[in-house]
Amino acid sequence: MRQAGTYSGMLAVMSGKNVPHSLPLARIKKIMKKSGNDVKMISGEAPIVFSKACELFIEELTRRSWMMTLKGKRRTLHKDDVASAIAATDIFDFLVNLIDDNGREVEGGFGRRGEPTS
Amino acid sequence: MDPMDIVGKSKEDASLPKATMTKIIKEMLPPDVRVARDAQDLLIECCVEFINLVSSESNEVCNREDKRTIAPEHVLKALEVLGFSGYIEDVYAAYEQHKLETMQDSLKGSGGGGGRWNNGSEMTEEEALAEQQRMFAEARARMNGGSAAPKQPDIEPDQES
Repeated sequence: MRQAGTYSGMLAVMSGKNVPHSLPLARIKKIMKKSGNDVKMISGEAPIVFSKACELFIEELTRRSWMMTLKGKRRTLHKDDVASAIAATDIFDFLVNLIDDNGREVEGGFGRRGEPTS
Repeated sequence: MDPMDIVGKSKEDASLPKATMTKIIKEMLPPDVRVARDAQDLLIECCVEFINLVSSESNEVCNREDKRTIAPEHVLKALEVLGFSGYIEDVYAAYEQHKLETMQDSLKGSGGGGGRWNNGSEMTEEEALAEQQRMFAEARARMNGGSAAPKQPDIEPDQES
Protein backbone atom coordinates (compact mmCIF):
# COMPACT_ATOMS: atom_id res chain seq x y z
CA MET A 1 0.00 0.00 0.00
CA ARG A 2 1.49 3.29 -1.03
CA GLN A 3 1.28 6.43 0.94
CA ALA A 4 0.17 9.55 -0.82
CA GLY A 5 3.01 11.96 -1.14
CA THR A 6 2.54 15.01 0.98
CA TYR A 7 5.57 16.80 -0.35
CA SER A 8 5.27 18.05 -3.86
CA GLY A 9 8.05 18.24 -6.33
CA MET A 10 10.46 16.15 -4.37
CA LEU A 11 9.58 12.85 -5.92
CA ALA A 12 11.70 12.65 -9.00
CA VAL A 13 9.76 10.94 -11.71
CA MET A 14 12.77 9.57 -13.48
CA SER A 15 13.25 5.87 -13.30
CA GLY A 16 17.02 5.95 -13.50
CA LYS A 17 19.17 5.38 -10.48
CA ASN A 18 21.08 8.62 -10.67
CA VAL A 19 18.40 10.88 -9.31
CA PRO A 20 20.05 13.75 -7.50
CA HIS A 21 18.61 15.36 -4.39
CA SER A 22 15.65 13.06 -4.07
CA LEU A 23 15.56 13.63 -0.34
CA PRO A 24 14.00 16.85 0.94
CA LEU A 25 16.75 19.23 1.95
CA ALA A 26 14.73 20.98 4.63
CA ARG A 27 14.08 17.70 6.39
CA ILE A 28 17.74 16.79 6.27
CA LYS A 29 18.66 20.16 7.70
CA LYS A 30 16.21 19.63 10.52
CA ILE A 31 17.75 16.30 11.41
CA MET A 32 21.21 17.82 11.28
CA LYS A 33 20.20 20.54 13.69
CA LYS A 34 18.83 18.03 16.14
CA SER A 35 21.89 15.81 16.00
CA GLY A 36 23.73 17.62 18.75
CA ASN A 37 23.45 20.22 21.45
CA ASP A 38 25.57 22.91 19.92
CA VAL A 39 25.38 22.37 16.22
CA LYS A 40 26.84 25.22 14.25
CA MET A 41 25.16 27.01 11.42
CA ILE A 42 24.70 24.88 8.37
CA SER A 43 25.61 26.14 4.95
CA GLY A 44 22.94 25.94 2.28
CA GLU A 45 24.98 23.43 0.37
CA ALA A 46 25.64 20.97 3.17
CA PRO A 47 22.20 19.29 2.96
CA ILE A 48 22.83 18.67 -0.72
CA VAL A 49 25.96 16.75 0.09
CA PHE A 50 24.04 14.86 2.76
CA SER A 51 21.26 13.99 0.38
CA LYS A 52 23.66 12.17 -1.90
CA ALA A 53 25.54 10.56 0.97
CA CYS A 54 22.25 9.24 2.39
CA GLU A 55 21.32 7.78 -0.94
CA LEU A 56 24.62 5.96 -1.14
CA PHE A 57 24.27 4.79 2.43
CA ILE A 58 20.80 3.40 1.90
CA GLU A 59 21.91 1.71 -1.28
CA GLU A 60 24.80 0.02 0.45
CA LEU A 61 22.77 -1.05 3.44
CA THR A 62 20.01 -2.34 1.19
CA ARG A 63 22.46 -4.22 -0.96
CA ARG A 64 24.11 -5.89 1.99
CA SER A 65 20.75 -6.74 3.52
CA TRP A 66 19.67 -8.21 0.25
CA MET A 67 22.69 -10.48 0.23
CA MET A 68 21.51 -11.84 3.54
CA THR A 69 18.08 -12.42 2.05
CA LEU A 70 19.65 -14.37 -0.78
CA LYS A 71 21.60 -16.45 1.69
CA GLY A 72 18.31 -17.45 3.24
CA LYS A 73 16.96 -18.23 -0.22
CA ARG A 74 14.09 -15.84 0.19
CA ARG A 75 12.60 -13.14 -2.00
CA THR A 76 11.37 -10.89 0.75
CA LEU A 77 13.81 -8.69 2.58
CA HIS A 78 13.17 -8.94 6.30
CA LYS A 79 14.25 -6.83 9.20
CA ASP A 80 16.57 -9.64 10.31
CA ASP A 81 18.43 -9.30 7.04
CA VAL A 82 19.06 -5.65 7.77
CA ALA A 83 20.18 -6.54 11.28
CA SER A 84 22.57 -9.17 9.95
CA ALA A 85 24.02 -6.73 7.46
CA ILE A 86 24.61 -4.21 10.21
CA ALA A 87 26.31 -6.77 12.40
CA ALA A 88 28.53 -7.92 9.56
CA THR A 89 29.80 -4.51 8.50
CA ASP A 90 32.34 -2.55 10.51
CA ILE A 91 31.36 0.89 9.38
CA PHE A 92 27.76 0.17 10.35
CA ASP A 93 28.77 -0.33 13.96
CA PHE A 94 27.03 2.89 14.89
CA LEU A 95 23.75 1.21 14.05
CA VAL A 96 23.99 -1.65 16.50
CA ASN A 97 22.05 0.38 18.99
CA LEU A 98 19.02 0.21 16.76
CA ILE A 99 18.82 -3.56 16.91
CA ASP A 100 19.14 -6.02 19.67
CA ASP A 101 20.07 -9.66 19.62
CA ASN A 102 16.65 -10.70 18.47
CA GLY A 103 16.77 -8.29 15.57
CA ARG A 104 14.09 -6.17 17.16
CA GLU A 105 14.28 -2.44 17.17
CA VAL A 106 15.56 -0.77 20.27
CA GLU A 107 14.67 2.70 21.45
CA GLY A 108 17.41 5.23 21.42
CA GLY A 109 20.34 4.99 19.13
CA PHE A 110 23.39 6.97 18.47
CA GLY A 111 21.30 9.97 19.25
CA ARG A 112 22.95 13.07 20.51
CA ARG A 113 26.61 13.03 21.00
CA GLY A 114 28.06 14.31 24.20
CA GLU A 115 30.39 17.22 24.48
CA PRO A 116 33.25 17.14 22.09
CA THR A 117 36.46 16.05 23.67
CA SER A 118 39.36 18.09 22.46
CA MET B 1 0.79 13.77 25.44
CA ASP B 2 0.47 17.40 26.30
CA PRO B 3 1.55 20.13 23.91
CA MET B 4 4.82 20.74 25.74
CA ASP B 5 6.04 17.28 24.87
CA ILE B 6 5.86 17.90 21.20
CA VAL B 7 8.45 20.60 21.14
CA GLY B 8 11.49 18.93 19.61
CA LYS B 9 11.83 16.25 22.21
CA SER B 10 12.36 12.85 20.70
CA LYS B 11 14.38 11.83 17.72
CA GLU B 12 11.18 10.68 16.11
CA ASP B 13 10.31 14.24 15.27
CA ALA B 14 12.17 14.58 12.03
CA SER B 15 12.33 11.58 9.81
CA LEU B 16 12.70 11.04 6.12
CA PRO B 17 9.76 10.66 3.77
CA LYS B 18 8.82 7.03 3.52
CA ALA B 19 7.82 7.04 -0.14
CA THR B 20 11.09 8.56 -1.32
CA MET B 21 13.08 6.14 0.79
CA THR B 22 11.05 3.21 -0.47
CA LYS B 23 11.77 4.26 -4.01
CA ILE B 24 15.50 4.37 -3.41
CA ILE B 25 15.38 0.98 -1.72
CA LYS B 26 13.32 -0.65 -4.44
CA GLU B 27 15.57 0.69 -7.17
CA MET B 28 18.43 -1.24 -5.67
CA LEU B 29 16.65 -4.54 -5.85
CA PRO B 30 15.29 -6.80 -8.58
CA PRO B 31 11.70 -5.94 -9.45
CA ASP B 32 10.15 -9.04 -7.99
CA VAL B 33 11.70 -8.62 -4.56
CA ARG B 34 9.52 -7.46 -1.70
CA VAL B 35 10.62 -5.50 1.30
CA ALA B 36 8.88 -6.15 4.59
CA ARG B 37 7.42 -3.06 6.15
CA ASP B 38 9.44 -3.37 9.33
CA ALA B 39 12.60 -3.72 7.25
CA GLN B 40 11.71 -0.47 5.47
CA ASP B 41 11.16 1.26 8.76
CA LEU B 42 14.47 0.06 10.07
CA LEU B 43 16.29 1.23 6.95
CA ILE B 44 14.78 4.67 7.35
CA GLU B 45 15.83 4.81 10.98
CA CYS B 46 19.33 3.78 9.99
CA CYS B 47 19.46 6.63 7.54
CA VAL B 48 18.44 9.12 10.18
CA GLU B 49 21.14 7.72 12.44
CA PHE B 50 23.58 8.10 9.61
CA ILE B 51 22.72 11.76 9.32
CA ASN B 52 23.09 12.16 13.07
CA LEU B 53 26.46 10.51 13.03
CA VAL B 54 27.87 12.42 10.10
CA SER B 55 26.39 15.68 11.37
CA SER B 56 28.08 15.28 14.72
CA GLU B 57 31.38 14.54 13.09
CA SER B 58 30.98 17.41 10.60
CA ASN B 59 30.29 19.71 13.52
CA GLU B 60 33.52 18.61 15.15
CA VAL B 61 35.51 18.99 11.97
CA CYS B 62 34.06 22.49 11.66
CA ASN B 63 35.02 23.24 15.28
CA ARG B 64 38.56 22.04 14.76
CA GLU B 65 38.93 24.36 11.81
CA ASP B 66 37.53 27.25 13.79
CA LYS B 67 34.78 27.88 11.29
CA ARG B 68 31.29 29.01 12.14
CA THR B 69 29.35 27.27 9.43
CA ILE B 70 29.31 23.63 8.48
CA ALA B 71 30.36 23.57 4.87
CA PRO B 72 30.34 20.71 2.35
CA GLU B 73 34.07 20.28 2.84
CA HIS B 74 33.51 19.48 6.50
CA VAL B 75 30.95 16.87 5.60
CA LEU B 76 33.30 15.24 3.13
CA LYS B 77 36.02 15.13 5.75
CA ALA B 78 33.60 13.62 8.24
CA LEU B 79 32.68 10.90 5.77
CA GLU B 80 36.32 10.03 5.41
CA VAL B 81 36.94 9.93 9.14
CA LEU B 82 33.95 7.69 9.72
CA GLY B 83 35.00 5.14 7.16
CA PHE B 84 32.71 6.18 4.32
CA SER B 85 35.47 7.42 2.05
CA GLY B 86 34.02 5.26 -0.69
CA TYR B 87 31.16 7.73 -0.94
CA ILE B 88 33.27 10.82 -1.28
CA GLU B 89 33.80 10.70 -5.02
CA ASP B 90 30.13 10.33 -5.88
CA VAL B 91 29.06 12.84 -3.30
CA TYR B 92 31.53 15.40 -4.57
CA ALA B 93 30.42 14.81 -8.15
CA ALA B 94 26.80 15.41 -7.19
CA TYR B 95 27.79 18.57 -5.37
CA GLU B 96 29.71 19.88 -8.38
CA GLN B 97 26.79 19.03 -10.61
CA HIS B 98 24.49 21.00 -8.38
CA LYS B 99 26.78 24.01 -8.41
CA LEU B 100 26.87 23.88 -12.18
CA GLU B 101 23.10 23.75 -12.43
CA THR B 102 22.67 26.58 -9.97
CA MET B 103 25.13 28.73 -11.86
CA GLN B 104 23.37 28.12 -15.14
CA ASP B 105 20.06 29.05 -13.60
CA SER B 106 21.36 32.33 -12.31
CA LEU B 107 22.94 33.15 -15.66
CA LYS B 108 19.68 32.58 -17.47
CA GLY B 109 18.01 34.95 -15.13
CA SER B 110 20.45 37.83 -15.69
CA GLY B 111 18.73 38.79 -18.92
CA GLY B 112 20.29 39.87 -22.18
CA GLY B 113 22.30 38.09 -24.80
CA GLY B 114 25.68 38.85 -23.37
CA GLY B 115 26.73 35.30 -22.96
CA ARG B 116 28.54 33.71 -20.12
CA TRP B 117 31.57 35.89 -19.74
CA ASN B 118 29.95 39.21 -19.17
CA ASN B 119 27.54 38.17 -16.52
CA GLY B 120 28.24 41.35 -14.63
CA SER B 121 28.41 43.74 -17.56
CA GLU B 122 25.59 46.07 -18.40
CA MET B 123 26.20 46.15 -22.12
CA THR B 124 25.25 43.77 -24.81
CA GLU B 125 27.55 43.18 -27.68
CA GLU B 126 25.69 45.61 -29.93
CA GLU B 127 25.84 48.27 -27.33
CA ALA B 128 29.54 47.73 -26.79
CA LEU B 129 30.14 47.99 -30.52
CA ALA B 130 28.15 51.18 -30.75
CA GLU B 131 30.08 52.63 -27.87
CA GLN B 132 33.33 51.75 -29.54
CA GLN B 133 32.25 53.48 -32.77
CA ARG B 134 31.27 56.48 -30.81
CA MET B 135 34.64 56.71 -29.16
CA PHE B 136 36.39 56.37 -32.51
CA ALA B 137 34.27 59.14 -33.92
CA GLU B 138 35.10 61.35 -31.00
CA ALA B 139 38.79 60.69 -31.36
CA ARG B 140 38.60 61.41 -35.06
CA ALA B 141 36.82 64.63 -34.45
CA ARG B 142 39.45 65.68 -31.97
CA MET B 143 42.17 64.96 -34.44
CA ASN B 144 40.63 66.68 -37.42
CA GLY B 145 38.67 69.54 -36.06
CA GLY B 146 40.20 72.60 -34.53
CA SER B 147 39.25 73.92 -31.18
CA ALA B 148 40.30 76.62 -28.77
CA ALA B 149 43.11 74.61 -27.33
CA PRO B 150 46.27 74.93 -29.43
CA LYS B 151 47.58 71.72 -30.68
CA GLN B 152 51.19 70.80 -31.01
CA PRO B 153 51.90 70.36 -34.66
CA ASP B 154 53.73 67.16 -34.07
CA ILE B 155 51.47 65.00 -36.00
CA GLU B 156 50.88 65.84 -39.62
CA PRO B 157 48.86 63.00 -40.89
CA ASP B 158 49.03 64.26 -44.46
CA GLN B 159 52.74 64.64 -44.57
CA GLU B 160 54.60 62.14 -46.54
CA SER B 161 58.13 61.25 -45.86
